[in-house]
Order: sequence, then structure tokens, then C-alpha cells
Amino acid sequence: MTGTENNPYDVIVCGAGHAGCEAALAAARMGMRTLLISGNIDTIAKMSCNPSIGGQAKGHIVREIDALGGEMAVNTDTTAIQFRMLNESKGPAVQAPRAQCDKKAYQLRMKHTLELQPGLHLFQAIVSRLIYGTGCVRGVGTSIGAEFYAKTVIVTTGTFLRGLMHIGKNKTEGGRSGDFSAQTLSSSLKDAGIALDRLKTGTPARLLGSTIDFAVMEEQPGDAQPLLFAFYDTRGLPDDVFHVEQSPAMAAAERLLFHVEQGRGMRRPGWLPGMEQLSCWMTHTNARTREIIIENLHCSALYGGEIQGVGPRYCPSIEDKMVRFANHERHRLFLEPEGRGTDEWYVNGLSTSMPFDVQQKILHSVPGLENALMMRPAYAVEYDFAQPTQIHSWLETRQVEGLFFAGQINGTSGYEEAAGQGLVAGINAALKVRGEPHWVPARHESYIGVLIDDLVTKGTQEPYRMFTSRAEHRLLLNHNSAELRLGPHAARLGLLTPARAAAVLRKKAAVEDWSARFEQLAAPGGKLGDHIRKGGGLDAAPAEFLALSESAREEVLYRVRYRGYIDRELRHVSKLAGVERVSIPDTFDYATVPGLRNESRQKLIRHRPENLAQASRISGVSPADISLLIVALASRNT
Amino acid sequence: MYFDGDSIAAPATPAAESALAIIRVSGPLCKELSAVFSGKMSIEPRKAFYGAYRSLDGVLQDCCVFIPYPQGSSYTGESMLEICCHGNPIIVRSILDDLFRRGCRAAEPGEFTRRAFLNGRMDLTQAEAVQDLIAARSRASIDAAQRQLDGSVGRAVNSLLERLLNVIAYAEAYIDFPEEDLPPEDKDGPIAQLVSLQSDAKRLMATAPYSALLREGARTVIAGLPNAGKSSLLNALLGEERAIVSAEPGTTRDYIEERLIVGRHLLRIVDTAGLREGGGEIEDKGIEKSRQLIAHADIVILVIDGTAPPPCQELPVSLRELSARGLVIVAINKCDLPQEKPFDELLPGARLIRLSAITGEGLPELRDAVCDIIDSRYKAPGQDDVLVCARHAEALANMSDSIAQALDKMRRGEAAELAASDLRDALGSLEQIVGRVDSERVLDLVFSKFCIGK
Repeated sequence: MTGTENNPYDVIVCGAGHAGCEAALAAARMGMRTLLISGNIDTIAKMSCNPSIGGQAKGHIVREIDALGGEMAVNTDTTAIQFRMLNESKGPAVQAPRAQCDKKAYQLRMKHTLELQPGLHLFQAIVSRLIYGTGCVRGVGTSIGAEFYAKTVIVTTGTFLRGLMHIGKNKTEGGRSGDFSAQTLSSSLKDAGIALDRLKTGTPARLLGSTIDFAVMEEQPGDAQPLLFAFYDTRGLPDDVFHVEQSPAMAAAERLLFHVEQGRGMRRPGWLPGMEQLSCWMTHTNARTREIIIENLHCSALYGGEIQGVGPRYCPSIEDKMVRFANHERHRLFLEPEGRGTDEWYVNGLSTSMPFDVQQKILHSVPGLENALMMRPAYAVEYDFAQPTQIHSWLETRQVEGLFFAGQINGTSGYEEAAGQGLVAGINAALKVRGEPHWVPARHESYIGVLIDDLVTKGTQEPYRMFTSRAEHRLLLNHNSAELRLGPHAARLGLLTPARAAAVLRKKAAVEDWSARFEQLAAPGGKLGDHIRKGGGLDAAPAEFLALSESAREEVLYRVRYRGYIDRELRHVSKLAGVERVSIPDTFDYATVPGLRNESRQKLIRHRPENLAQASRISGVSPADISLLIVALASRNT
Repeated sequence: MYFDGDSIAAPATPAAESALAIIRVSGPLCKELSAVFSGKMSIEPRKAFYGAYRSLDGVLQDCCVFIPYPQGSSYTGESMLEICCHGNPIIVRSILDDLFRRGCRAAEPGEFTRRAFLNGRMDLTQAEAVQDLIAARSRASIDAAQRQLDGSVGRAVNSLLERLLNVIAYAEAYIDFPEEDLPPEDKDGPIAQLVSLQSDAKRLMATAPYSALLREGARTVIAGLPNAGKSSLLNALLGEERAIVSAEPGTTRDYIEERLIVGRHLLRIVDTAGLREGGGEIEDKGIEKSRQLIAHADIVILVIDGTAPPPCQELPVSLRELSARGLVIVAINKCDLPQEKPFDELLPGARLIRLSAITGEGLPELRDAVCDIIDSRYKAPGQDDVLVCARHAEALANMSDSIAQALDKMRRGEAAELAASDLRDALGSLEQIVGRVDSERVLDLVFSKFCIGK
């Protein structure tokens, strides 16, 4: 039997949320014997908050996950009920896809994908503690008394570590409405010297659609020609293992319950022309809403002093918005469908920790929601997280060898941020078991790299969410190039099927080749490249080019059109490439570096950068400090 | 892997007079530079060649010895070029200025060593040897930087930084939050703010020459015919002034430089070889050198023998130009002896001082005139003005360039993230002065200004 002291798993993943699923799949796909433990396997890959995946910077991450052979993109494509490309008025680098998903379908498809994955064992139990060896982790103990041993353990607990939910003065233990919380695992982590802190997040109420008056709201439909998240179309291919049958294009009134088709060799429909998408709807709070909130501010868990955790500034509760932006007459709200087989609706923009009766008054003040029936109340949740400066960039804890963290335990927020980390943790756990060097995507090649580097070098004071402005090489990170940036890594790591790996490398070669050829081919008034940059069309482009895939063509045009900017970014990157390679040992003593300013010294000791590039990104550290470090490291290493 | 980014240049020898000075250049431009100065397309590596250093505009700066090093076998590991010129700080400065115009940038402290280390070109002994050097140098520069940052320069630059961050945050809000209920984007406001940032940066940059004057001293050239009394005047000034900063012996071939404090100003006084009356000797090196020195001077004291007839030779054009700008003092020496005749018409715009280097008569007036010229002609800033040094001025100039590019895109309505990329470069230039700015600062501003969130 696997999982005993003598025959341990390679990888155990604790928690089957968005981080845990990607971690377990990546490890198993890299040939690891993997155990995925979840306290409730009916809530696998549950979208605990909004029903959407993607959006600014997050949509970029989802495409990167796909490029690395992860599951989130395909799972979104096959279960989405609406697609939208955001920021179409801006340039391609900051456009991002977003989809509304059928929440239940999303979960079911992910669960079944896990079930079909060879080498992956899914098991229901609550992890109560970690089993430690000397300086390392050896397995987990569970609430049912059983112990499971492994070479590596990935903890992806989300909001479940000592989760505490607030509705007004009312407090309930649990990581999510209707779920348990992990009460003892925190102390097990503290035993290993890992410091924990509190964060807070929240979610709005869910309403019954038939009691909402959509007629007074503004419709936000999906795109007529949506872009799918996944790069590699498996439709009709033998490695398409599963799909969720979408409701056929029918009148909304006849909306059918979705049904699940499963089995090998079935076609994955994804979105097809003519397929029905569901709309979101927009409304606003008004003066009455504001009065109710201000009158009842003392009842709010947040303003009543009940909550200690720090909440995200970009996702404030409605009471927060009313207080901080007192001069705003109204705040925008979106009603988003939670799926096809349900009439439950999510109220985007109305997160709150007010008591139930006040929540009802707030809702009924909103145009279109006067008679809305609440199905689930809004609540705030507090949970433990570990300041991510305690982990290495490959997500292994500094204190305990073999123990990895991914997702909200690292202080992040969002399904996409969690999934990206889960994937990287799964990859690195597998590499550790194989005895190979760790791998982390760099800042200039992915948002996942920016995310992880920010976390481990700077830590976070609020739930960390990705924004494109966090990426200094944003122009290199357009979503369409994710496959070319990360695909070769994924192929090398063994995360792609051989067919897909070959396709990625072919596409990369073609894009690079054509980007160069555009500067040589003749066109009206010069070279084709200049012609394109002056806003010219593709009339002069060879037929072979037009025969490339749409994604490849788009990427060639992006590189040609923005050549000057991309070259400049690449120059910035190559300037840093040298310092990127110079690692700073964990044991490096900054006290021995002569001439270092005290302020810089303290910052470096606190952040413990892994290499000189990380050190140079710490705020206030100057180029002169870096020069001193370089020489100190040189004399140490030789 | 080698840096394939920029090329850096810096003097490798101290900024003092000596027989030779060496300027080091490292980076991809070196190959091209070698070709330019040798006039040959392919150069034998590590073999010195002699050539004329002409600046981009074709002006001869000096005759130099060049040593090219190929990538892989140089100090830094990159292509390098060593330029050995005459040990004259003015020549070194003009060659460096020209290298910057040709695309090099000033090396940061320790940057050659950094590159050497990163390219695997250093061993322990070398590393330890430079460690002390860099530590000592940067300690001094860090002390200086902290003094500046504590004071008015810090406040001025930080105010530019805050204003730039505000423009960036405004643009980023509209890039990162397309779904939020933001007010309609204001296009003109940010443009106006950037323009005002540019003009404020320009005002700060304009103080750099005066600041250099304070730090390095005013280049004061004593010129005149032989036997007009230049050397006695210099000796008189030095002898009377007890506060001599340094007196370097006249070992240089072409001129002597002395430092002394006059009033509140530091002067670097150069006694030239003399503008000889050498009919026909146009090519004379000494005259050429003196003319060069005059051209680069902040102030010129033209010494005239008051007992002799006015010089009949043509005065250098640059001297006339300086005079027209009020930067020339005509010192009519030997006033203790019977004077020949007035010299009022000699140099329009110049101040006339009658003095005697022997008796000391007129010397206080000369010193007052020198101080007055520095303060009035080099715009001594007011009480509230800020002085920036050359390094800051360079960073501010780079910031202005990046802002100009952003403005161009904003006015033409190009994709917002492209202008944002220029603004990020502008921020990077300011970071050279104030150190790294956390990207979180931008988000802080976005969240404080806009109501964002689901």
C-alpha cells in the first residue's frame, strides 16, 4: 500500500481548491505518486466567491497555466457560460479574456479530471497535523486517525486555516459558508517555526433570479466571437478525456439543466458559433443604500471591531466604499449567473459583513432588487496565512524541507493566483523528489513569475491580487504569447503530451521565423515590417503566413508592430540577466559587507533575497548597495 | 552570457593632472569606436594603436593611444576599449562627454567590477582588492547622497517623484480596471502635468553647472603674453591666501593648476604657457593648448603688462566670446610702475583691474571681481533654490527624454500601455537618485484616488 512510512507517496497535497487541483495534477503528470486530500470531495475546485475566471492580469495567468499544461483554462473553456475580452480599447498587451463559469459544472469536470489522472489518488479526510522528521516533513495526520506518509507535502488550505466567518456580530467557525475549518493544522505549522498572521476577505449575497427585475438593469452580453483560454485545441483528439455538455442554443426560457457526458474519446465542444451565452446585468446603489449603510455602520463586523484581519483594498466591502468614497453618489453592481442549472445569482460589488436584516434592507434599496429573495447571505471570513517571505521562490518553506505552500496560505487572493502557485508548487515538489534543480518562471516571462517573486521578496500586507502594473515587463507578457514564453519550459519538464510539446515548438519557430521575415519581405513603400508599423494591411503578406494559426499570426503581428518597445524591454531584461544568476546563500551574513548602509542592511536581512536581482528590487536598495554585495559575494564564493 | 545592453565609460585614473589619463569603455559600442578611431574595419585585438580623437562634430580633442580588447578577454569580459590621453582633466572631460554623445553612459560606482564578476572574469585576489576601493568610494558617495537626500535636493526630487507617480497611477487605473466605474478618463490633465514636470526638471538641471562650480571649483585661467606677470600674479594670490586647498607642483608640461579659496568660492587656477607673440607659429602646441584651456574656462584673467604697449596679436576668438559674456578680467599689472596707456578698448565686456603682483595693490579688488563674476554670471541660486550635481542632472535629463516620448504617444492617441512604458522609464531615471520605488506605491495611489472593487 502506498502512503505508509516504508512506502511513502511522492507528493501529498492538502486541500483541493484551485491551488490544490493544479498542484496534484502537475505532480501526477510528472509521474509522481500523488495523494490529494480534501475535507469534502464534493467541494473540489469550488468557486467560493464570484463565478468568473480571468479578467485583467488574471486572464493572463490562466493562459500561462494552460501553457504550462495546467487544467484551469480547459476547465473554464468547457464550463463557461459567457466569454468577454476586457480592455479592447487598449493595446494587446493589456487586453485580457474573462469568462463566467457554471460553478457546479466547473467543479464536476475538475473532480472527474482528477479521477481520470493516472497516479493520482483523491481522498476525503481533514488534515489535522503535519508529521515532521528532523528539519523536514514526512506526512500528514488526519481527523479519522489515519496517517499518510510522503516525501513532500503541499499545503493549499485557502481560507480554511482557523477560518472564522462574520455576519454582523455573529461568528461561525468555517472556511466557507456551510463548511468546516481546519483548527489544529495552524498549531502544527507553528510548531515548525512558521509564523502565521490573519487576513480577511468577503463575499456578497446570492439571490434568486426569478425575484430580480432585470428589465431595469443594463445588459452585459458575452462576445459574439469569444477567445478560448486554452491554446491547444484538443477537440476531436484522443487526449481529450472529458467534457461537460453545454446547454444547446435554446431560448433562455427553455433553459435546460446541464448534463454531464463523460468518458474517453468524447469531443470537447467548448464554445461554438451560435452557442448561447448568458448575460450579466448592471445596476447601481443609490442614496437610500448609502443611508442604510451609514446608519448601521456600527453593526458591521468590519467597523464594529470584530475583525482583526486585513482586507484587500481592491475588493472592499460596500461599507468600506461608502466610508472611503463618501462623495460617490452611487456604486456599480453586477448581477452574475452562477450556472445554467441554477437560478442563483451573484451580486458583484456588494460584499459586506453587515447583519442579515441590514443586508436585506441594503439589497432592497437597489433598483431591480426591491423584491429580491436572498438565498445565501454575504459574509466576511478571516483566516490564517503565512507571510510568504518565509518561503523560497520555488514555494518550499525555508523552515521545513519538503513542505510547500500555495494559494491563500501565501497571502494571495483569487482563483487564478492560487492555481498558478499550485502548478509551480506541484512542479517543484516533483523536481525535488526526482532530485532535480527547482524551476520558477522569471518575471519577464510570466505573471506567475511576477506573482511569486513579489510574494517571496516583499511579503504582503493584504490579500495579494495580480495587476498588470505590477509587471515591469508588461509589454512582453501579452496573453497570446504565454504559450511561446512558457511552453518550452513545460515541454522540458514533462507537463505536455508529446504531440502538444511538438506543436508548441513548431509554433515558436514559425513565429520567430515570420517576425524576422517581415523585416525582409518587400511591401508597398519599403519592407513589410515598416508597412505594418505604418498601419498597413496584410495584402502583401505571403499565403504561407496567412495559413498559420490565428494565435501565431496575431503574435507575429504583435512582435512586428511593437518591435521598438519589445526590443527596449528585452534590453532591460538582459541588463538584469547577469544579476539574476548570482544567488545569495541563505546563510549570507550581511553584517560582513563593508560600506552597506544600515537601512539597506536591515531590509536585506528581513527579505533574504535569493539572488542579486531580487535584492535590487527591494525598495530603497541602491545600485551602490548592489555593487557592494557583488564584491562581497565574489570574495566569498571563490 | 554577456550583457548585450549598454556601453559604459569612465576615467580609470584620478581626476588630477598627470602625464597620462586612461578612460575605459566597456560594452558593445567598443568595436565600433575602435573602427572609428583607427579608421580600419578590423583591428588586431590587444594591440595598441595611435590615433586622433575627434569628437562627433569633427573637432580634435587629443592624440591618444587606444587599446582594444575583444569580448572574452578583457577586464569585464565584454568588448573593451582603453583610451590613453594626456593627463588633463579638461581633455578627459571632453572625451567622456563625446563618448556619452556616442551612446555610452557613465559607469556606476563599481560597475566595471560588477560586470567583470558577472561575466566570471574575477578571482579572489582581484575581488578583495577592489572591495576596499568600492567600499571606500561608495561610503563617501553614500554619505554625500544622504546629506543631499536629507536636504533640499531630496525634497525637490521627491516632489517630482510624487507628481510623476500620480500621473502613472492615473494612467494605470484606466489600464488595470476596465470594468470599474471610473470617471471618464481625462487626457489633457496628465499631459499638462507631464509638461510642468519637464520644465521643473529643467530648472533643477540648470543649477548643475553652478553646483559643479562649488564642488570642483571654478576653472580660472590666467592668460597673457610671456613676462606680463602671470606667474607672479599666481604666486601673489597663493601667497596672500592662507587657505590653500592643494598646491600641486608644476610637474605638468603645459600648465600648472592650483586650488585656492577666494571668498566663498573654490578656484582651480591654471597658469598657461602663455599666448606667445609667435608670428607664423600658428601650429604651436603651446598656443593651441592655451586656447583650449581658455575655451573651457569658467573665468579668464588676462594679464597685461601695464608698462608695455597693448598686445598687437589677434586674441583668441573664444576669449572674445567669454569677454562678451562678462567672464574675463583684464588685470593690468605693474601699476606700481609708470603705465603705458589705457587698455579700455582691448576687450569689450571685460572688467579692468589695475594691480601690482609685487606690492599686492589691487589684489583685493581682483578677488572681489572674481567672486562677483561667479555669483552673477553663474546664477548663484536664491536661498530656496536647490543645487543638483551632474549625476542628478543626467538622471533628470533622462527622465525628461522619457517623458517627451510618453507625451508624443499620448498626443497621438497611441495605446496607453506604450506611454506607460515610457513613464516607467522616467520613473527608473528618478530611481537612480532616490533608490528603488516599490510598485506598490502606484497601487496605493490608485486605491486612494479611485473607488475600486467588486
